[in-house]
Amino acid sequence: MQMVRFVLGLVMTVVCLGLAGRRLMFLYRLGRTGQPVEPGRTSDTGAAVRAELAEVAGQRKLLRWTVPGVAHFMVFWGFMVLLFTVVEAFGALVWPSFQIPVVGNWPWFGFVEDLFAIMCVLALAIFVVIRIKDAPKNLGRRSRFFGSHLGPAWFVLFMIFNVVWTLLAFRGASINAQEVGPSGKMRFLEGAFASQWFAKLFEPLGQHTNEILETVLLLLSLAVLLVFTVFVTYSKHLHIFLSIPNVAYARRPRALGGLLPVYSNGKKVDFEDPGDDDLMGVGKIEDFTWKGLLDFGTCTECGRCQSQCPAWNTGKPLSPKILMMTLRDHALAKAPYLLATKGEDGEPTTALTDADKAEAQRPLVGPEGDETASVDEHGARGVGAVPFDMLWSCTTCGACVEQCPVDIEHVDHIVDMRRHQVLMEAAFPEEAGVMLNNLEHAGDPWGRGASARMEWAAPLDFEVRQFGANGEETIPDDVEYLYWVGCAGALDDTAMRTARAVATLLHEAGVEFMVLGEAEACTGDPARRMGHEFLFQMLAMQNVETLNTAGAKRIVVTCAHCFNTLANEYPQVGGHYEVVHHTTLLARLVAEGKIAPVHRVDAATTYHDPCYLGRHNRIFTAPRELLAAIPGLRVTEMERTKEKSFCCGAGGARMWMDENLGTRINLNRTDEALGTKPDVVTAACPFCITMLSDGVSQRQLEGTAAETVQVADVAEILLRSVKPEDVPTPVS
Amino acid sequence: MKIVVLVKYVPEPTATWKFAPDLTLDRGAVEGRLSELDEYAVEQAARLQEAGTASEVVFLTVGPAKAVDGLRKALAIGGDSAVHVTDAAMHGSDALATSLVLAKALEKTGFDLVLTGMASTDAEMSVVPSMVADRLGINQATFAGALSVEGGTVSIKRDSEGAVLEVSTALPAIVSITDTNPEARYPAFKAIMASKKKPVTTYSLADLGVDASSVGLAAAAVKVTSVTPTPARTAGTIVPDEGEGGAQLAEFLSSRGFV
Ligand SMILES: Cc1cc2nc3c(=O)[nH]c(=O)nc-3n(C[C@H](O)[C@H](O)[C@H](O)COP(=O)(O)OP(=O)(O)OC[C@H]3O[C@@H](n4cnc5c(N)ncnc54)[C@H](O)[C@@H]3O)c2cc1C
Ligand code: SF4
Ligand code: SF4
Repeated sequence: MQMVRFVLGLVMTVVCLGLAGRRLMFLYRLGRTGQPVEPGRTSDTGAAVRAELAEVAGQRKLLRWTVPGVAHFMVFWGFMVLLFTVVEAFGALVWPSFQIPVVGNWPWFGFVEDLFAIMCVLALAIFVVIRIKDAPKNLGRRSRFFGSHLGPAWFVLFMIFNVVWTLLAFRGASINAQEVGPSGKMRFLEGAFASQWFAKLFEPLGQHTNEILETVLLLLSLAVLLVFTVFVTYSKHLHIFLSIPNVAYARRPRALGGLLPVYSNGKKVDFEDPGDDDLMGVGKIEDFTWKGLLDFGTCTECGRCQSQCPAWNTGKPLSPKILMMTLRDHALAKAPYLLATKGEDGEPTTALTDADKAEAQRPLVGPEGDETASVDEHGARGVGAVPFDMLWSCTTCGACVEQCPVDIEHVDHIVDMRRHQVLMEAAFPEEAGVMLNNLEHAGDPWGRGASARMEWAAPLDFEVRQFGANGEETIPDDVEYLYWVGCAGALDDTAMRTARAVATLLHEAGVEFMVLGEAEACTGDPARRMGHEFLFQMLAMQNVETLNTAGAKRIVVTCAHCFNTLANEYPQVGGHYEVVHHTTLLARLVAEGKIAPVHRVDAATTYHDPCYLGRHNRIFTAPRELLAAIPGLRVTEMERTKEKSFCCGAGGARMWMDENLGTRINLNRTDEALGTKPDVVTAACPFCITMLSDGVSQRQLEGTAAETVQVADVAEILLRSVKPEDVPTPVS
Repeated sequence: MKIVVLVKYVPEPTATWKFAPDLTLDRGAVEGRLSELDEYAVEQAARLQEAGTASEVVFLTVGPAKAVDGLRKALAIGGDSAVHVTDAAMHGSDALATSLVLAKALEKTGFDLVLTGMASTDAEMSVVPSMVADRLGINQATFAGALSVEGGTVSIKRDSEGAVLEVSTALPAIVSITDTNPEARYPAFKAIMASKKKPVTTYSLADLGVDASSVGLAAAAVKVTSVTPTPARTAGTIVPDEGEGGAQLAEFLSSRGFV
């Protein structure tokens, strides 16, 4: 019997590992068709190890969602410990009384193994409850599993359950069949309490039957495990292998904040003199880096990203999860073409089926107005793999990246696809062209031009020092901060109020500052987020030259987007400055007693975290400290706050595009803010203020918001507390 | 059919314009661009070429050295090549001189159809197309809201008050294109790079056989005697409606002579 079981076990193992291995080899080759990653990504071993410890071993991101997080933690560690039982099972195949050296015979070892096995089963029960409770059938689009492969997910749960019980049952039969091990009794099974249950159950069957049962159950448990392994390599459950390299090679500290420059073949593209063959963003699936392809393969379809996505939550055809699944499906469908041997002309030398040829021809991003395009529970359909509106619905808010437990870099992939669309195809929502033209010709998105850039300061009762106005060639030494007013602060009527409030507060605190005035131009953020890297580079280089010539060192900004670009992206073009957001600086000045908020502001407020301040740049506390310092002000947090803040709808250059699909993002957020019964809704970014003001105005028109509700920057509320006489009554 | 598009490189309308001591615009002190209104003509030419109606499209400008940027912009939208007439003696030229030089350059390039904008965005005289037509002795059809070419005839639709005029004329002809035509496409970076490889020929006045004394500030028929900046935008008047709003509004309008 020993021989039979060995041979059978061996055959099963060889066949299944062969199948799994072949599949993994295929996936590896497919991954290799991607572009090289940018330099430096794979070289920081220390960071990779820390990430593995925190995210894989510690399950850091998963645990943010307590119940499913703990359940996943249990399954993960359950499986880790179960690996020992698997080793024991394979050992028993060769040598019936096998045990792991040294610890293998200690009763507590058996106890721990069984404990984790039982934890696994408990976790499975939790998953079953979650999957039933949150089923798309009940919740529709609101379900995070909407659009995921539901059948395979259930099958995975079922198989994990089978792996656990067959292993325990096998151990139970072993206890009955096996009396003596190589070093005496197999004492470890004494501690294996769950296996003992099975032993009790099988005991009445007698020694002989238990011996047969042991073999049968051993083969069964190995069969289950091996079939599961093969299945995993063909399913979304691949994450159990792929998340390890995916986390190791993720962008650190996170794929948020600044965007990466355009790389082609691992080298930065020089937009002044690009190479003829340089890739400008991603126009074909194989233009993604191998890390991109790895991302698509690693997605577990958990839907955490989808549950937070402002586009998805307002009925738009974009879910970051479905996007990842779509790109994976397209990569797999295009694999026969990609992996075919190519002749001199780059055409495959082997014959491809018509379907394969069609997929090879299929554009990555579909055309505008594609009637066949749809994004629903069946995934994304259309002429292109990614429908046009799917690509352009993204606000680059980063909620998906923040949530993803396996560190997928959605925003980078979306921007890379936009880059190709804009730079190579000039295909983008038409209305955004006005903004691009304005940036190019007037240096600001509204097309007002440099000459209008000092209008904001005119009503102030002190003089704002303007660089160069008195013939300065460099910023004088007594100037502590260069105040980057930003296009909105300089040109938008509402944002001007913030710009003035910040200037007044700095003036009050005795902080010497200077502005660039006409010499300031748009940082290029909307161009970059739209994928127009060329225009971004032009604006960035122009601004960096201005700043470097002026000798700027410390910069204070009021716009979250300017902040992000100046702090995180200008270093890419040779601009290295210490950049602070006005809320950080003001909080410091309040703490130092240089600004005294002494007047009561009797009002209820809530604070909206701008994506580019909060999630992208981790500034959560400074604005809250400011609000807390204002006497009389009562702050109520919204449900979706800080890392989980819900976008206002303006990011990713969406500010300059029509929003005519689904419901409006700003209204969704406004309603949540209004739910806290505020007198004033605060934020710390001019674009958020615009979006929320529009939202509040609309609700006021509809009569669902009180006429008195205002929207204002945190700095303006602070000013009310410092110098109430300086605050104009806002017109709503 | 060969199309030549006349394009003007104008000072950026949103920038602050400065004037030189001789009261001409200080072109060096202000960014320039391809006149937005000429982009409509460029787009039309590109479309005629894509449709196979035009076999060759050339862009022509008379302007300072930097005007070549305007030609590059046009070439990113479409067309095959460009001609740039530049000469220090052109400084301060008026519409008469500009049209003379354009006519001479057109004689040199040859053409079947000349397309122009409806007006420049700086001087906005809308006279150059007619002047060029007159100098060349060819037909003109101005302010085309739409255009089509069939055989040797160009037909345009011109929106005038209450009616749409359809005008047809035999080639060679000159047609000015209005801003009711489709907007120029946004050129892809790829097209911008490709435009850098398209040939641009530069001519001086001597190359065209134009006598330098017939152009420039000294030869201009109209003299600029002074330049005053327009007053800055003021805040305007807000009429709050407290029952009297309508009356106040009417009063305001009548006080300014609007009603
Ligand atoms: C500051 C300033 C001072 C001026 N001073 C004088 C002056 O002293 N005396 C005087 O007579 N005029 C003067 N002008 C007018 C100036 O010379 C005219 O701009 C020019 O001659 C063309 O006229 P326009 O711009 O009104 O063109 P429009 O007639 O409005 O142009 C219509 C079309 O003609 C074509 N076109 C026009 N100019 C060109 C060009 N240079 N190259 C190619 N195509 C072209 C374009 O297709 C354009 O859309 C002055 C203009 C300015 C801005
Ligand atoms: S960045 Fe925001 S809008 Fe874009 S896919 Fe992610 S969650 Fe959705
Ligand atoms: S992308 Fe990340 S968060 Fe979204 S479904 Fe996939 S694994 Fe989950």
